[in-house]
Amino acid sequence: MWQKIYLWLDERLGLKEMYTGILDRPEPKGNWWNTLGSASLFLFILQAVTGIFLTVYYTPSPDHAYDSIQYIMTGVAFGWLVRGVHHWGATLMVLVVFIHLLRVFVTASYKYPRELTWLVGVGLFLMTLGMGFTGYLLPWNQKAFWATTVATQIAGSVPYLGDFILKVLRGGSDLSALTLQRFFAAHIWILPAILTGLIFVHLFLIIKHGESHFPQKED
Amino acid sequence: MNDESKNKIKERYHQVIQRGERFWPDSIFKDAIMALAIFVILILLATFIGVASEPKADPSDMSYVPRPEWYFLFLFKFLAIYGQIPLLGKIEWIATVIVPSIAIILLVLMPFLDKSPNRYYSKRIMPLSIMGVLVTSMVSLTLMADVPTGTSLPGILQTIGGLVIPGLAYILILLLAFFFKKAPATCMAWTAVAAGVLMVGFTVAVLFLAPAPVTAETVVANTVIEKIQAGQDLYAVNCVECHGEDGKVTKIEGVKGLEGKEIPAINNNDVLYTLDDASIGEVIAYGRPIAGMNPFGKAFNPEGLSKSEIDYIVTFMRYMWDDRFEKPVLKPLYPPLAAGEVPSYDVHIAPIFNRYCVSCHRKGKDNNNFWVTSYDEILKTGDNAPNVIAGDANSPLLTLISGTPIMDPADPTKELAGKMPPNNNLKPDIVAVIKAWIMAGMPQTADDAAKLTPVPVPTATPKP
Ligand code: HEC
Ligand code: HEC
Ligand code: HEM
Repeated sequence: MWQKIYLWLDERLGLKEMYTGILDRPEPKGNWWNTLGSASLFLFILQAVTGIFLTVYYTPSPDHAYDSIQYIMTGVAFGWLVRGVHHWGATLMVLVVFIHLLRVFVTASYKYPRELTWLVGVGLFLMTLGMGFTGYLLPWNQKAFWATTVATQIAGSVPYLGDFILKVLRGGSDLSALTLQRFFAAHIWILPAILTGLIFVHLFLIIKHGESHFPQKED
Repeated sequence: MNDESKNKIKERYHQVIQRGERFWPDSIFKDAIMALAIFVILILLATFIGVASEPKADPSDMSYVPRPEWYFLFLFKFLAIYGQIPLLGKIEWIATVIVPSIAIILLVLMPFLDKSPNRYYSKRIMPLSIMGVLVTSMVSLTLMADVPTGTSLPGILQTIGGLVIPGLAYILILLLAFFFKKAPATCMAWTAVAAGVLMVGFTVAVLFLAPAPVTAETVVANTVIEKIQAGQDLYAVNCVECHGEDGKVTKIEGVKGLEGKEIPAINNNDVLYTLDDASIGEVIAYGRPIAGMNPFGKAFNPEGLSKSEIDYIVTFMRYMWDDRFEKPVLKPLYPPLAAGEVPSYDVHIAPIFNRYCVSCHRKGKDNNNFWVTSYDEILKTGDNAPNVIAGDANSPLLTLISGTPIMDPADPTKELAGKMPPNNNLKPDIVAVIKAWIMAGMPQTADDAAKLTPVPVPTATPKP
């Protein structure tokens, strides 16, 4: 019976090819440094799951953002845990992605044929920082508000374009409800969508070229 | 890159892979362990460290010192140090725009700048050295982020360790790579190592010499009860002088300039049903300047109340006075006293004075210069000091809080001080506590009080 279902599915999905193509790949002998990429992926998924839970209660308006977070912390069963994991997960993700970047730099894995993997990776790194930056404002507390005020000011110091950038980031000349709204949109829709897309390309390239080996004397 | 070296790379990879492992299950197994470890670490962090509470955003509070998320701290510090460079430091966008852009462009161009097929570490000393110096300086800047910059010793050491040394190291490495090609490549590695050691040294020195950070403890209330309690304390200091301890006052007394002014009681439904939370918050922030209530918002008064603090007061008013809300059970103002127990300033008297008197009796208010913000002030200040005399049941303070004004002995028709508090009477049990304290000699700490408490004479021999 199961056999039949499997065969039916295999015929249409190509489970066997998937298995050999994605899972049963030959790889050079790796070590713990090779786990950092998948650790980044794990953290991204964890952030997505906890983040979706948080949006159930979070309200992106200056009047309610702060209180809705306090409600998550004190009123929702295990809300504190989910927010805690999302908060520390963000920190850890930046750290892990950065160390992953350092490891592929040190082992020169960005060289032929993996140049594109590296380029996509740089995009992933910047998007991850973007997630950290936009997420920081969402609790709408003193720290968030003033750090974002200063950070957007810094972005506004670009010659000629500064004013424009500042207005795009803030949605006006001051930090306001509009700023919160667009940081929220960026944090839960725009950046995650870009990240997801880039991750798929990244993974496709890794499977295509196989993981690089640790360089030896003759490399 | 020509086809020959491309083929060589492919060939080599093919060989390596023959001696390799399988993604499933070999690599996946390690990945899974790593993921599990990360998950456990996150749960531990969330449980035992959690997320620090912060007060609500307050756009009018210009005094707040902003602090970015920790992984941007190094940039912040870099900006601060850079800003000190004469002339160049004034051109802000070099540091804010050019430097990060260069970093990103270098990252993007990495595979195209470094086109040699060599991958072994000793054949890539230049990029590795530069990256080493860069990462060390990022870590060092992050660690020093909280130490103020400036011309103090730690400030100068910071500039050297965070900007000068890495700067010189980059220049030296680039010079070695492009102009002194004859020098052995290990020179670059040694430059990087030396710079790294120096940076670590300077960082340690800066952290060691740094003045201890002043951690301004801001109280953040999270639960409703905490908010009500915080609100009650803030109300006691800021509002009691006009509205009374329970909001009942309809005629202001004892406040300069507003003597005898009729105001609506703010604890009844007329006010609480007609004003919603936001409107009460606005009354507090903007005041009623024409009627005589000064604004409390930070926008008008740098020492005023923050948004969170105003929120707490509103919550306090709602839950305590609005009959649509269930009155919460708050912890008592002071722990109940056993029969014969002597109250102390720290445990019993300070909370009472803070709740009922400090609103008028602090610096800058009209109060015969009698202040009650500390033990010494209560004992020593006041135009007619001393107001408390150990063991004297006729201490002026006791007379006043019992509801009797004190007359000028020289002119018996003139009041030296009216009854206290002027706008209503203290509850008898509170008067009794203050009286017991004065009669016992006004002990300051709980220990002092315990010494004065008579040991109850045992009535029966205790069983062994
Ligand atoms: C210097 C005296 C003074 C202080 C201190 C003061 N108030 Fe007032 N308050 C007034 C006066 C006067 C009015 C105006 C009454 C009127 O409009 O006739 C008023 C009005 C109000 C009202 C509006 C009543 C209404 O019917 O609209 C509220 C609410 C209120 N005060 C709350 C507070 C709170 C909370 C505090 C403490 C943060 C405070 N006040 C501190 C003097 C004061
Ligand atoms: C509404 C403001 C207000 C409050 C609340 C208040 N006082 Fe006073 N207090 C005054 C003023 C004003 C004077 C100056 C004399 C006068 O005008 O009656 C004064 C004077 C005094 C004096 C005389 C000081 C001296 O040396 O002449 C004492 C003692 C005193 N208050 C005790 C208290 C105590 C204890 C409380 C708390 C239970 C209290 N007061 C609460 C306004 C206040
Ligand atoms: C959200 C962030 C990221 C995710 C989820 C991710 C995921 C992965 C995974 C799963 C691998 C294979 C396993 C490994 O070698 O560790 C990998 C490899 C790689 N990553 Fe990333 N990565 C991310 C960010 C980056 C960044 C920032 C860079 C560099 C700029 C980068 C460059 C590379 C390169 C060049 C490889 C190939 C390594 C090799 O073949 O040895 N990645 N990535």
